[in-house]
Amino acid sequence: MKENRRERIVENVCIAVITLVTATVLVILSGASPLEACQMFFRGIFGNLNGFGEVFVKATPLILTGLGCSVAFRTGFFNIGAEGQFYMGALTSTWVVLNLTGVPGPLRIVLAILTGFVTGGLWALIAAMMKARFDISEIIVTIMLNYIGINLLGIAVRTFLMDPAGSIPQSAKLDASATLVRFLKPTRIHTGIFLALAAVVFIWFLMEKTTVGYEIRAVGFNQRGAACNGISVVKNIILSAALSGGLAGVAGAVEVLGVQRKLLEGISGGCGYTAILISLLAVNRPFGVLVTAILFAALSVGANSMQRQMGIPAAIVDFLIGMIVLLILGRELFWRRAARKEGK
Amino acid sequence: MDRLNGYIYCVIDRFCGGFCLFTETTERKDGMPLLEMKQITKAFSGVYANENVDLSVEAGEIHALLGENGAGKTTLMNILFGIYQADRGEIYYQGKKVEFLSPRDAIDQGIGMVHQHFSLVRKMTVLDNIILGLESRASVLDRKSAAARIRELADKYGLSVNPESRVSELSVGEQQRVEILKVLYRNVNLLILDEPTGVLTPQETEKFFDILRKLKAEGHGIIIITHRLAEIMAISDRVTILRDGKAVSRLVTAGTTPEELSAHMIGRELKKDTSQREGFQPEEMLSLKDVSLSKKRRKKKSLSHVSLGVHKGEILGIAGVEGNGQKELAEVITGIRKNYKGTMTWRGENLAGISVKERFRKGISYISDDRHNDSLIMDMTVTDNIILRDFDCSPYSRWGVLDHKKAEERAGKALENFKIKTSGTSGIRTLVKLMSGGNQQKVILAREITDQAGLIVASQPTRGLDIGATEFVHQELLKQKSQGKSVVLISADLDELLSLSDRIAVMFAGKIVGILDRAEADVFKIGLLMGGVTGEEAAVAERKEAAEPEAARPENARASAEKQETVGPDGCRNQPAAAGGQSRKGGDVA
Repeated sequence: MKENRRERIVENVCIAVITLVTATVLVILSGASPLEACQMFFRGIFGNLNGFGEVFVKATPLILTGLGCSVAFRTGFFNIGAEGQFYMGALTSTWVVLNLTGVPGPLRIVLAILTGFVTGGLWALIAAMMKARFDISEIIVTIMLNYIGINLLGIAVRTFLMDPAGSIPQSAKLDASATLVRFLKPTRIHTGIFLALAAVVFIWFLMEKTTVGYEIRAVGFNQRGAACNGISVVKNIILSAALSGGLAGVAGAVEVLGVQRKLLEGISGGCGYTAILISLLAVNRPFGVLVTAILFAALSVGANSMQRQMGIPAAIVDFLIGMIVLLILGRELFWRRAARKEGK
Repeated sequence: MDRLNGYIYCVIDRFCGGFCLFTETTERKDGMPLLEMKQITKAFSGVYANENVDLSVEAGEIHALLGENGAGKTTLMNILFGIYQADRGEIYYQGKKVEFLSPRDAIDQGIGMVHQHFSLVRKMTVLDNIILGLESRASVLDRKSAAARIRELADKYGLSVNPESRVSELSVGEQQRVEILKVLYRNVNLLILDEPTGVLTPQETEKFFDILRKLKAEGHGIIIITHRLAEIMAISDRVTILRDGKAVSRLVTAGTTPEELSAHMIGRELKKDTSQREGFQPEEMLSLKDVSLSKKRRKKKSLSHVSLGVHKGEILGIAGVEGNGQKELAEVITGIRKNYKGTMTWRGENLAGISVKERFRKGISYISDDRHNDSLIMDMTVTDNIILRDFDCSPYSRWGVLDHKKAEERAGKALENFKIKTSGTSGIRTLVKLMSGGNQQKVILAREITDQAGLIVASQPTRGLDIGATEFVHQELLKQKSQGKSVVLISADLDELLSLSDRIAVMFAGKIVGILDRAEADVFKIGLLMGGVTGEEAAVAERKEAAEPEAARPENARASAEKQETVGPDGCRNQPAAAGGQSRKGGDVA
């Protein structure tokens, strides 16, 4: 066991070195000094309060969608649809805020977030039902539902949700009473971060301490074994899928209510896809998701600063993230194979 | 147990009496043996699987490799076949020192292996399976001449099988013949057969032995891995016995007895059967009437009009070649399969529509033959697995929140009561997958055999366990019986069934083809029934057998084996693995 841990550390160092070398090469290729780029990268994150705050602004939806994916992955439901569920949550919560003007602000916020949860959940439920009922791959269905969700939002901001006063495809601004408070001005940090943190604790408690979590874990580890011992596989897959979609929907609602304060295309910034990586890297652990999401957010903030200050493409960071994920997954596969060989 | 091995021995001896004489008459080439393995040593993470093992096989010899599960037989053969490389030791083949880095090397040198689980592509024809991966060097496949050669080989060795038929249409015995043909087609001189008779009926086994004798007469060397003593006595020339990774003895078969073999294999004499028989009460607890189960989207039935009664304090044995509906029967009783037809009552209550969970609460426990997939969640801890059946009941759950302390208390008690050994220091927090098979099985027993249990459906409960754990399971089942509980014991091990059961039901093609009282049951009768010969036919065969002189028996037995081939086109027995080992999708059963 100990030997194993030492090997792990060596591998992690290897991965870090490979990443650093690649990063240096890429930065040099784009015509900048690596040291300076590095400086800009960290100055972007820690240089001022604004940048630092931005990390948590970006982390909020990543935490929620990442948690969502991790819950679904736990039962073996490969939810690739956090993006679509995010959009559906954003769309419906905007509608609620814009149309239920008679309801007082705080209550409207609660209603909007709940609506986001329900629609996101329903969006995932479609895929879960199709899997349970007809054995259709949830991967395909959730990807397809992503397109539908994204384009539904595109239609909405051009038609019934379009700002009557403007001419660009986006909704009217939400009234200030029905938005999440930015409590640390001048940063954009909003109360949604608390919701995300609460969700982390809640999911952890649910998965580790309750019978619901026990069932979900059992089903995730061994569907057949769970079924043979009287745990319903279908029920748990549907439950975890709905919870997963719900969390992504909440992320959409929170992004609208806290950051953009209106509905527009491309609102997710691809966080529904990043969530999959986060969940994978965090091995589906809630607190792991929290840490990884913040890390990813920081990377993105730092990369943006690099791009602004020195013209180094922020895409370099996405490139490196992709590479790290491949290295880590490759390592897992390698070990699993080695274990299988040994086990024989 | 040795008494029962004696039984089998007698039966097989009766079948092949005349043939065994071959042993002495085959001529042996002088000089170097065909194969010599010297001082082979192989360790896995510090544990020796093989330690200084010597093995030598002559051309024209059938050499048996005997040992319990985990004694190192398969590891040794995998080293010979190039799947593993030895840490130390040398291999000489046909007088030359060889080193095999992959099975390909071994095959090129003329060594072939037939694995316990066949590696055939079910959707392809016999011909394609045999030439698969061979003629890639030629630009055009010459199917015609390949087919001709296969026919020639098949005729020569009596491996009758049609090259054009699909593997999925073949019986297990035929599939095995395809595997052997596949090996022969590659011009091998040495065949390794890993547990070749595990899936065969006694009658099919006899047919299979005929093939081996022909191969031997042609000068092939054969290594047969097995733990069935009777078969060794019937077929082999010499025996090498492995125990705990070491070769403990080398014997000439003609000069030994099953008792001696078993003593060497186990390292001590086996205790005589001491089980008590009390407990049987006439009250019928579980009753099945006309229960049928159809396969999904197919008309074929995996259970067909099964009627059974299980009494209080009774162990009802279920015999049969794997894949003839035993697993389905267990799953219908325990509620895992729901869409059955017919009626099933437990303590007088109709079980229709009652879920797995409720059935467990009503006292129906299940020990599955596939403990890794069906009974355990391998990635969870001992504690989690112990409460798998009642995690949502008091005292383990309050308002949906788990009480880990209560669960761990119970797990701790289970560890003590069932003498479960966890590897390492984590105790009840050990992941089940890190434990040995015997201890995993004990975890299942601790969970399933509770005070509330009234019926225990135990499917192959001792498969893969060592002697100690096997005895533990047997004692536990007998204890339950003496406490007035009922047991349905499904087993491929006839010894086990004969020594534990009050009655033995035999399944073939989804039907119960006969129920025998233990007093009247013997291996021969069960064997015929397992092959699909019904009770009356079996009686006829027996009468004939009694009337005919000793020498005529082999033909007689083969005749009934042929018959079984014609009885069994139903298809159920064509899928031994599908019904047995493989895990099914959860959605299927939920």
